[in-house]
Amino acid sequence: MNCNDLIKSLAENEDGISLPQQVHLRSCTACVALVSDLHKIRSIAADLRSIDEPSPRVWNSLEIALRQEGLIRSQSSSKPFVTSFGARWGWARWLVPAAAAILVAVGSIEYRQSASRHLGEYAKPAKLSVVADLDDADFLQEVSDRTPAVQAQYNDSLRSVNDAIRDAQAALDADPSDPDARRALMEAFQQKQMLFNMAEDRPLP
Amino acid sequence: MIRNNAVKLVAAGVLVAGTMAADTHKELRFNVGPKAGISVLNPYGSITVKPASGNIVIVNAVLHSDKVEIDNTQSANRVDIQSHLLPGADADNARVDYEVFVPPDASLTLQSTNATLHAEGLRGDVTLEGVGSSVDVRDVSDAHVHVKTMNGPITLTNIRNGHVEVDSVSGEVNLTSVTGPLVQVISTSGRINYSGDFGSGGEYRLTSHSGDIEAAVPDTASADVVARSVKGEVHDDVHLQPRTHTWFPIKQGSAFAGTVGKAASSVVLRTFSGKILLKKRSEK
Repeated sequence: MNCNDLIKSLAENEDGISLPQQVHLRSCTACVALVSDLHKIRSIAADLRSIDEPSPRVWNSLEIALRQEGLIRSQSSSKPFVTSFGARWGWARWLVPAAAAILVAVGSIEYRQSASRHLGEYAKPAKLSVVADLDDADFLQEVSDRTPAVQAQYNDSLRSVNDAIRDAQAALDADPSDPDARRALMEAFQQKQMLFNMAEDRPLP
Repeated sequence: MIRNNAVKLVAAGVLVAGTMAADTHKELRFNVGPKAGISVLNPYGSITVKPASGNIVIVNAVLHSDKVEIDNTQSANRVDIQSHLLPGADADNARVDYEVFVPPDASLTLQSTNATLHAEGLRGDVTLEGVGSSVDVRDVSDAHVHVKTMNGPITLTNIRNGHVEVDSVSGEVNLTSVTGPLVQVISTSGRINYSGDFGSGGEYRLTSHSGDIEAAVPDTASADVVARSVKGEVHDDVHLQPRTHTWFPIKQGSAFAGTVGKAASSVVLRTFSGKILLKKRSEK
């Protein structure tokens, strides 16, 4: 199964749990990201159904607006809006509330995406600094009892891997779908992990 | 004139004798069973490991000062040798040079800060780790080889039929006639040089973030080669038979994919910004 096959198969099995899908996902980070995004969209949509149902005030506001436009006429209060509306519009009576729900849903999604983008702009530098800088303090503390020559080797290596992490992160930020940038970032982190392990495991000066 | 020369000779002799007197020679012997585990930990100096016949481990050590001593233990089939640094030890006076003879099927672990590490002629797993250590492994077959350094250079020669995993942040990695079911090298800024035919059926993954990768193959090579770089240049001087279908876009100058021979082995060469060159090896 290649990437195109996986995308087609998601229409039949969107969870990505069939064996051929799993085999492909083990080796394709781009498709893993795609399936993850689909899951997120599905969960957000589920939340919208339960949380973002328009409140009665929305329907009232719609009614007022439609009356002002002359699309509906005054009626006795005993008749519910939907019933009288349905009498006039027949099967299309659900179009307006459906359109309103869609507009509210789209607006909600746009707001959430805008908020997450806004948060993401602040999160990215912090995330890099957590990996690239804050943990480095622990690392430098670990090697502080080494001889100066060895400390220099550790510091040079740490600088090198942090540069690699920044390069790869920048490339991934520029193109989140770039599998090579994603893999380069992962391998840079693995090299950093190796450095930390060597510093912790090493009882030598 | 003759007297002056004699005085000089005597002075030179005294100097050499004095130096040798500061060195302490030690020999240790251990009886072991098949597939013994041997571990040597030595921050400074050198460790050389060679095969020996019989089920015995022989350790010859030269200590260059009294600021270091050798601790050794044997637990069942495991032998541990450690250079124990004493107060006042530094990188110069803490040097110990080890020459270790082990059964060929023994598993070997060498750890160091900056000692030179050398292992040859073995058929047991070899694990070498050093910060700035220069690592040299040759003539190992049917066994796994694991090497980690920060900036120490790594040379592997004639390694066959095992898993080879090399991690180095900035050390140069040289592989000559290294083949096996898995050969993987990951580096951040070190250069990777491969010379060989990529065997007949293994997976070869050579990756460097900013270091260059050069692979020289003979006409008899049989490999499916993919080379990709995010920002570096790639060059195919072998003129592979291009693959007609790939899951990734082939951007001229940044990627190539093709086969040579019967494509028995899978080869992936990747950098972020380093150059990649696949070229023909000149046969001498």
